Amino acid sequence: MSNFSFIAETDWRCACCNKNLQASKVNVEYMGSVFNVELMVCPDCGFVLIPEDLALGKMLQVEQLLEDK
Amino acid sequence: MDQQQLRNFEARCIQEEQPFCTAACPIHIDVRPFMACIAKGDMRGARRVLDRTMPFADIVGRICDQSCRTACKRREIDSPLAIGSLERYCVSTVPAVIKPPKLPGKGGSVAVIGSGLSAMTAALDLARKGRNSLILTCDEAIGGTLRTYAEELLPAQALATAVETLDFYGVSIQFGCSLTNEFFQTIRQDHDAVFLDRDCADLHGLAVDCAHPDPFTLGIGREGCFAGGGCLENSYSVIKQVEDGRRAALTIERYLQKVSLTAQREREGACPTRMYTVTAGIQSQQEVLPADQQTGFTAAEAVQEAARCIQCQCMECVKECTSLQEFHDYPKQLVRKIYNNEAIVQGTRSANRMINSCSLCGQCQVVCPNDIPVADVCLASRRNMVEKSTMPPSAHDFPLQDMEFSQSDFFAMTRHQPGSDSSRFLFYPGCQLAGSAPQAVEQTYLHLTQQLSGGVGLMFGCCGIPAHWAGRQELFAKTMQDFLFEIEEMGNPIIITACSSCYSIFKEFTPNLSLSSLWQILEDIDLPEQRGLIPQQPMAIYDPCTARHEPEIRDSVRRLTKKLGFSIEEHPVSGELADCCGYGGLMQFANPELGGKTARKKGQRSVHDGLAYCSMCRDNLASSGKRIAHLLDYLFPSADPEDPTLRRNPGFSRRHENRARLKQRLLTTLWHEESDMTPEYKKNELFITPLIMELLNSRHILEDDIQKVIFQAEQTGRRLVDPESGHFLASYKPVRVTYWVEYEPGMQGFIIHNAYSHRMSLPGDVK
Repeated sequence: MSNFSFIAETDWRCACCNKNLQASKVNVEYMGSVFNVELMVCPDCGFVLIPEDLALGKMLQVEQLLEDK
Repeated sequence: MDQQQLRNFEARCIQEEQPFCTAACPIHIDVRPFMACIAKGDMRGARRVLDRTMPFADIVGRICDQSCRTACKRREIDSPLAIGSLERYCVSTVPAVIKPPKLPGKGGSVAVIGSGLSAMTAALDLARKGRNSLILTCDEAIGGTLRTYAEELLPAQALATAVETLDFYGVSIQFGCSLTNEFFQTIRQDHDAVFLDRDCADLHGLAVDCAHPDPFTLGIGREGCFAGGGCLENSYSVIKQVEDGRRAALTIERYLQKVSLTAQREREGACPTRMYTVTAGIQSQQEVLPADQQTGFTAAEAVQEAARCIQCQCMECVKECTSLQEFHDYPKQLVRKIYNNEAIVQGTRSANRMINSCSLCGQCQVVCPNDIPVADVCLASRRNMVEKSTMPPSAHDFPLQDMEFSQSDFFAMTRHQPGSDSSRFLFYPGCQLAGSAPQAVEQTYLHLTQQLSGGVGLMFGCCGIPAHWAGRQELFAKTMQDFLFEIEEMGNPIIITACSSCYSIFKEFTPNLSLSSLWQILEDIDLPEQRGLIPQQPMAIYDPCTARHEPEIRDSVRRLTKKLGFSIEEHPVSGELADCCGYGGLMQFANPELGGKTARKKGQRSVHDGLAYCSMCRDNLASSGKRIAHLLDYLFPSADPEDPTLRRNPGFSRRHENRARLKQRLLTTLWHEESDMTPEYKKNELFITPLIMELLNSRHILEDDIQKVIFQAEQTGRRLVDPESGHFLASYKPVRVTYWVEYEPGMQGFIIHNAYSHRMSLPGDVK
């Protein structure tokens, strides 16, 4: 998952800051492994969007891979 | 698992034992693939199988006396396979496909006296092993007794081919030798070992006693001299010649290597096999006889006859178990994978999923001829994983949280019967029945209090079986400890369980308590007067896997159904053989797809509507599309007039809700205790369509989780919005899992549009 970009245009906006989301590098972590990935994030408050297809797709795959390590 | 345990388990699985025909064959021809090849018309493939093991296949394949045939399992069904005739067909129509390799020369010279089939086999086998072998015969041609066979049975060409084969492997042949004593002395001195083929008339001239070779080594009590072959009691067996020649070659090879002549040779020659093959249910198919006895099988006849081979194997456990089928394993492979999985220090433990997919139901052990305890092996491995912190967190998280909920104040409680301060009995309905059919639990309890004297207490909780199945020994031990404490506080009443899983746990882990199943109790007391309408059409009883070793409970259930007027049609995979519904061993959580498949398989065991007495069986089979009711649905019908066989699986959220509400209702109505356990975050009303509810259940997301996400998002304002639809998207991580909910504020609450989850942590996760 490292060095992956998951940025995609989205209609979701940050309701709190009233801002469009922007691509940004984010560290995600599971079972001691940290990955630096590009996700859509609120530029003001840093709210990170994990879309459904990422959560149930690539992210799940990596989670299961790490669980068997 | 240590290596000794591994070996013990492996040795008990007989799937890799030789089939009956191969074990009975003195040279262990691999008959199964031979038959399989012919059956699919692959004659070259069949010939290849023979070429691998059978010396001089052009000869032996034509005239073998087929001692294998009497061992053929098909004999139990109709008639054994015509193995000899099929071999004859194969070698008559297909020339040799492979020549087995010849090892590099490694010295040592062996004289073979005589030229019958055993001499030929010994010389050929030794030459292939890299030994110099020389045939010395008084005859003018090889074959011995073989030369007396009629041309149509054994064509001269087959013997000519044998000479070419011997030549190819470097065996020299000296014809016309004069077998005198001096000749023998010289030969013995010039060679490291000598084999005497008794299929040779001139051996009598030698001052060596070949009549009684040792049956195991073929030694004749003279250094380096061995003998075999020939006629026994005036009967000439082709395969006996081959066996002796091969045995002699193996002995001489050991003799030349100066190693034991006897160690580990039990499997040479025809040997017993532990193979276990069930022939019941296989359709009879008469033996195919060649239309023309003279010419033998045609290709079509050969194919048809070979197709009768049932490919003997055991697989008794795999035939029934969806999990073993899923991972293409029989127990011998499974235990090895588990052993290897445990041995991994760094790397991927690829058997984790397999280990967590076992339902631990024990069906395989019942059908296994050697009672291999696969469930025990899988459970021990789970415990090992938990101990070493290698258990995948996602495997059992959800059911363990469910257990935690049931043991929390939301559901757990223990009370004496209202108005009483002691309990002779204690009703323990279990968490799943209370979640699935709360009204049945309530009515059952009231009925028990009316029918039984001495006080009937009530205990809600979870017996701890999820922790037990998950390999969480500490958590499970604590549950048992707390349970024992509570029971003692209640004055050690007789515990009445409604659920077979609770029963099995208490029986095994709290053996000193008095225990009875609800079904045994109901048999002895009056049945409720207001009962449900008993269907006219036959129903099939679905025993739960946890009642596998409880024949008394199963019998009680059957007598109850009889008393109630059910028409029961038993199906064959019940009682001791019952399948798991997918809940057992937490299979459906570690491997949801397999759980679904397992439930469907159980449901399909009978064409009739099902009658269950385990609420997980009831609900899982209902989810799989089976029409199935719980026995209590008829004893204590709900006000809802719906046919109980059509009742839906309530799903995980509803089960939580049902348990919590049941507790609150009973506390209020029976014990007059006020309780409102509803936390602040749960006060928002949710609107969830059945479709979304199904999605939530399949994703193991509870309404409770959704409530938390929305409560938190609405409190803090941290959420995303889609300006076009007006939907919000928010996330929250209560413990280990981050839940995302797409929702829309409505007039009276929140409309749920979607939810999903992940376990990976984000920076600044909201907890």
